[in-house]
Amino acid sequence: MNSSSLAEQFKLPESLKPGKIALIVGGAGLLLSAVGFFVDAKQFYHSYLAAFVFWTTIALGGLFFTMLHHLTGATWSVVLRRFSEAIMVILPVLAILFLPIIPGMHDLYHWTHEEAVAADHILQQKEPYLNIPFFLIRAVFYFGVWFLLARTLKKYSTQQDNAPEPSLTDKMRRFSAPGMLLFAVTLTYAAFDWLMSLNPHWYSTIFGVYIFSGSLLSVLAFILLAALYLRGKDVLQSVITLEHYHDLGKLLFGFTVFWAYIAFSQYMLIWYGNIPEETEFFLQRWEGSWKYVSMVIVFFHFALPFLILVTRAAKRNLALMKVMGFWFLIIHYVDIHWIVMPTLHTEGFSLSWIDFTTLIGIGGLFVWYFWKQFAQQATVPINDPKLQSSIQFTNA
Amino acid sequence: MSTITKETDLKVHEDGELVEGNPTFASVTADISRAPEAGTPKLWFVAFGAALSLMGLGLTLIGYLFWEGTGIWGIQNPAGWGWAIINFVWWVGIGHAGTLISAILFLFRQRWRTAINRFAEAMTIFAVICALVFPGIHVGRVWVAYFMFPLPNQMGMWPNFRSPLLWDVFAVGTYFTVSLLFWYVGLIPDLATFRDRAKTKIKKAALAVFSLGWRGGNRQWQHYERAYLILAGLSTPLVLSVHSVVSFDFAVSLIPGWHTTIFPPYFVAGAIFSGFAMVMTLALIARKIYGLEHIITMRHLENMNKIMLLTGMMVGYAYSCEFFVAWYSGNLYEKAIFINRAIGPYAWAYWTMIFCNVVVPQIFWSRKMRRNIPVMFVASILINVGMWFERFVIVITSLSQDFLPSSWDYFSPTFFDVGIYLGTFGIFFTFFLLFLRFLPMVAIAEIKGVLPQADPHYYEHNGHH
Repeated sequence: MNSSSLAEQFKLPESLKPGKIALIVGGAGLLLSAVGFFVDAKQFYHSYLAAFVFWTTIALGGLFFTMLHHLTGATWSVVLRRFSEAIMVILPVLAILFLPIIPGMHDLYHWTHEEAVAADHILQQKEPYLNIPFFLIRAVFYFGVWFLLARTLKKYSTQQDNAPEPSLTDKMRRFSAPGMLLFAVTLTYAAFDWLMSLNPHWYSTIFGVYIFSGSLLSVLAFILLAALYLRGKDVLQSVITLEHYHDLGKLLFGFTVFWAYIAFSQYMLIWYGNIPEETEFFLQRWEGSWKYVSMVIVFFHFALPFLILVTRAAKRNLALMKVMGFWFLIIHYVDIHWIVMPTLHTEGFSLSWIDFTTLIGIGGLFVWYFWKQFAQQATVPINDPKLQSSIQFTNA
Repeated sequence: MSTITKETDLKVHEDGELVEGNPTFASVTADISRAPEAGTPKLWFVAFGAALSLMGLGLTLIGYLFWEGTGIWGIQNPAGWGWAIINFVWWVGIGHAGTLISAILFLFRQRWRTAINRFAEAMTIFAVICALVFPGIHVGRVWVAYFMFPLPNQMGMWPNFRSPLLWDVFAVGTYFTVSLLFWYVGLIPDLATFRDRAKTKIKKAALAVFSLGWRGGNRQWQHYERAYLILAGLSTPLVLSVHSVVSFDFAVSLIPGWHTTIFPPYFVAGAIFSGFAMVMTLALIARKIYGLEHIITMRHLENMNKIMLLTGMMVGYAYSCEFFVAWYSGNLYEKAIFINRAIGPYAWAYWTMIFCNVVVPQIFWSRKMRRNIPVMFVASILINVGMWFERFVIVITSLSQDFLPSSWDYFSPTFFDVGIYLGTFGIFFTFFLLFLRFLPMVAIAEIKGVLPQADPHYYEHNGHH
């Protein structure tokens, strides 16, 4: 069989282009959010930032998943590669969606207030880093790096579809090694810039790893849901088998523990140290009803999913896995919301309709672009040397 | 999806077989049993004598320490923690590769681990023994060392459950127990092989006891595999927890340079880094002397070098993150300690650490260097030097220049610091040489499992050709 007929065989059926609805929903969400801007600009910017970071971390997870796949030379995940690739190429689109944050910086980041800096000794010390021009230069750099990584990997992958060159597998692997390094640095500093500096006095060296752990969990959940959606439509049913879902389940299980480990390390050390410049962050999130959100995160980001996913049977139960997919996406949003919002609603947890419109607005565009990218190519990398083994792989 | 036949058209991209030289099941058993069954070579006696002497030196000095007290060490105010804690952390760190290889790589289906896991697990156990020497002796009043355990007593006195030093006792104790169990469970089928090959009655009887009546039946294998999987699952969180708890010893305090949230994962990465370096150093020597180059192949060495490159980068990430946040925090003391590390009186130690841990592994970006034995030998030793200095930098720079400049002092070790440290090498190599001499240093049964012949379809395929 030659490449073109294989590509034909693995094409997403024309009847199945779910993107359109997502685009409409996303557009409507963003329009409503724009209304929200005129109703309450401050709320809008905070909601927008939370939604933006939520979706960006998923896209970054996609980039990580792709590079990890190449670096480890994994077999099982070959059939999932197109999903993570279609997720990572959304990053350039997210760069455009970053723009509304720029006019909102004054509302979001206390350190942009000149009078506040003038009165605050610590903020003055941080000024070489926390200033608007440098903040923007860094954002350009992050998106530049992500654009470069995502585009290049996608390019090689597409090339391989047209020409069965195993050397391209090597190329992708070699590219991913320095890529991983750049990824780690950019994700960390983006987390510092966009989230950690919301509390400009607060600092935590583990914060980048914390955001990374949530990002990986949410991309696994996204891939899981996208694959299950196609399965429901009779697409790729015999390609992405129960074994692959089982493996996704294992990773979700493993990384929910990893997330808990990182979250606990951060919390425990700050609690134990008990010095005001650090405890500020958690005290704020123990204020009023924020306390309950904090508890929800402990139980729903770790304790319950840990207990649910611990058995083999659970990871091989697709109906349950679908629930867990939504579960992890929702709790990841709650986590991001819990990081962003207490700086606005200091008195307690308060949900605004703009939270939903921004989340759905950016999410709609995200999902639309994802399906657009996914449908452009064969749904599996048809010339990957390990494709056959990936399809046939079983958990011993 | 039988329509895909592409794979056969393409040159499948693999790094070659896991075991070289097309061995048979019998030849694998023969190769690995050769050393333990043959007589003791002279070189072994020389090495064992050296190890025993070092251990003797160490134990003698520890005896003197009990007599005289910890004042014989270089510790003084304000650096009340010195080499004892550095060595403890260093040895525990080295112990991490074993469990990572046997548990985490197992769960990630990394079949190449089979050639090195036995070896690395043995190293883990001996390294943890060396590590455990230090908490016991550093307390000064060794006769109340049992106080580290929460033993019920008539005075109603308990250790402080909020102290990470107590958590250490639990964490390292659990780790040691589970590692030993894991190692032993893995050994059972091989001990049975040795039993079946034993020539003398006593040997046979002893091995029969330790192989727990293993017959290699289908059912036994099923139970065995299940037990192994469960132990791997239980050990995986231990790989993370032990060194995290060790890092808490520092990070829960308010000492600048110690109190930082990245410490737990940073310590774990460093531990795996140094553990792999130690496995590498020892494996390179052992495979050469015992002629196991076809079992511990270049592919294994290259993979280990890749892991060292990765974990070296993680450690580098943590160094830079700490440095940046120390500046970003705006905290004067935090900043001072980090600047002091880089340009202060211990700058030589800091830059040794940076060179060995961050610069040296960069050589492994090159495939040629990853496959160059002298290069990786030197690099693996340098990495362990670097990882020792990492702990030195953490402990000494943060302590010797505290909040009161009037109490600042320069730390210098004494003969006793160095001697006891060398003594632990003696303990380590004494055990390790005994292991090499009497036990299968590579998991025989597992190696057979990764031979091409172990594939149930192996003979069908060959029939078609």
